[in-house]
Amino acid sequence: MKRPSRQSKVLPIAEAVRQFVRPGALVAVGGMHMHNNPMALIREVIRQRIPIGTLMTGGAGGLNADLLIGAGLVAEVLTCYVGFEYLGLAPRFRQGVEAGGLRVREVDEAFVLLALRAGAHGSPFMPYPAGMGVQEFARVNPRDYQRVTDPFTGEQVWAARAAVPDVALVHAQLVDPFGNAAFLGSLFADREMILAARHTVLQADAVVSPLAVRRAGGTGLPGFLFAAVVEAPYGCHPTSSHGRYLHDEAHLQAYLGLKGQEEFEAYLKVHVLDPEGPAAYARSVGGRRHLASLREAGRRRR
Amino acid sequence: MARPFSTAELMACVVSRALRDGEVALTGAVNMIPVSGCRLAQLTHAPSLTFIHGGSGGVNSQLAPLTASSCDAESLRAEARLSLQEIVALACRGRVDVFFGGGIQIDQHGNCNMVCVGPWHAPRFRGPGSLGLPYTSQAGRTIIYTTAHTPRTFVPRVDFMSGVGYLDGGASRAQAGPPGGGPSLVVSNLAVLDFEPETRRLRVCSLHPGVEAAEVKRQTGFPLVMPDPIPSTPAPTPMELRLLRRLDPRGLLRRLA
Repeated sequence: MKRPSRQSKVLPIAEAVRQFVRPGALVAVGGMHMHNNPMALIREVIRQRIPIGTLMTGGAGGLNADLLIGAGLVAEVLTCYVGFEYLGLAPRFRQGVEAGGLRVREVDEAFVLLALRAGAHGSPFMPYPAGMGVQEFARVNPRDYQRVTDPFTGEQVWAARAAVPDVALVHAQLVDPFGNAAFLGSLFADREMILAARHTVLQADAVVSPLAVRRAGGTGLPGFLFAAVVEAPYGCHPTSSHGRYLHDEAHLQAYLGLKGQEEFEAYLKVHVLDPEGPAAYARSVGGRRHLASLREAGRRRR
Repeated sequence: MARPFSTAELMACVVSRALRDGEVALTGAVNMIPVSGCRLAQLTHAPSLTFIHGGSGGVNSQLAPLTASSCDAESLRAEARLSLQEIVALACRGRVDVFFGGGIQIDQHGNCNMVCVGPWHAPRFRGPGSLGLPYTSQAGRTIIYTTAHTPRTFVPRVDFMSGVGYLDGGASRAQAGPPGGGPSLVVSNLAVLDFEPETRRLRVCSLHPGVEAAEVKRQTGFPLVMPDPIPSTPAPTPMELRLLRRLDPRGLLRRLA
């Protein structure tokens, strides 16, 4: 009798997104500021026009959130930050809130980690330490912050409601076909997101052999945590992939300079809707030579 | 007026001089000034200082060269790495001696806002969000920094309290009981300020070289406590400047402010 072979998790990007990002879901997106954003997956969500019930960011959202918001797919955002750090504010997020169409579940950074940890443990909430100054968040977001009494001391502390994303979209530098992943740089809140989510779709710069993943070192996560794996070379562009390539500052600045909905729609067409696959995307942003110039190895030659 | 140093370089020196040997400091987003201040302190009077890149998790990064983004992979060329979960735990627990904060609004009692201008439900201006600013309630002390000393930043009262300072001033923070010590210093592009002990109102400590008291008054949206005379912020020493430029060969601090 033939022995069954180990099952590959690798799926075409369109299929992975269609299967695991359901309309109206709580979708968590990995990365922080302009680093490790799962942009290939996010661009695919936009191509398929999948409406997102609640978008959750990690330690700090940036383009990952702003692009989905601008595409009109986000009803609500659960976040402690959406911006572009030293490059400036997130235009679509800002406009969405100021115009009144986008709901915000206002939280702080500790909330994100506590809520995901609670979700990962299957606990209903996680208490803050005594004295933590989050009363203003509770005032505007009682859905996520409530007072609880410590049953052991009687002391009142704030509680962060558990977050259980329906799906997390996350980037790793390397993965093997079975989903064993190597994270070569920071994981930010991605590890907690993966552990808390019902499903995680992982994009990676390269799908390599199990031996190559082991040899790469870095922080590993086991394949059983991932529902699907997608190969996405330069899949974080224009954000960075730690250890592989830098963020594309000029591209991000051009994005931040887009004027009005018309220019934003044109950006979507050129960089999101039209390009079929990584090669076409690379051509839309200046070609492979440009992308190669962002590689980490080139940095020290400044 | 040509100065041989930039405002951001001066601010980094002010930060450096405010840090003590053996302390643990935590920096957040847009951290070029605090991390270069921390590294400078290590290279001068505080070799046992520890500083954490709150974004990437790098501990005692080499900063050679300084990077613009707090989460840049370069900051992982460091003595150790902490996960974000671990950094949040340390900050919540109060194991951070010095936390660096800031905001789109900073008020007369050192409360900081990163969320909105106007009412939260219908803001005139939506800011990016609070990140780790609530750690101001837990940290040993907080150093607030901003390169935008204007009446829009320095307002009588924040519209959203992302990070608690001295609340309503006086003893109000002490009565509310957060464990941390509150803001100790405000480093702006115009001046160095602290808080008058009795009232916990913002007070000018020194004016940066070339800045007049009238300008600081004009650029602040509430009355400041103003000693008379007000000293000048000591310029970077030649050694401080030499070390800063070795950390920052790309000149990020010179372009910043």
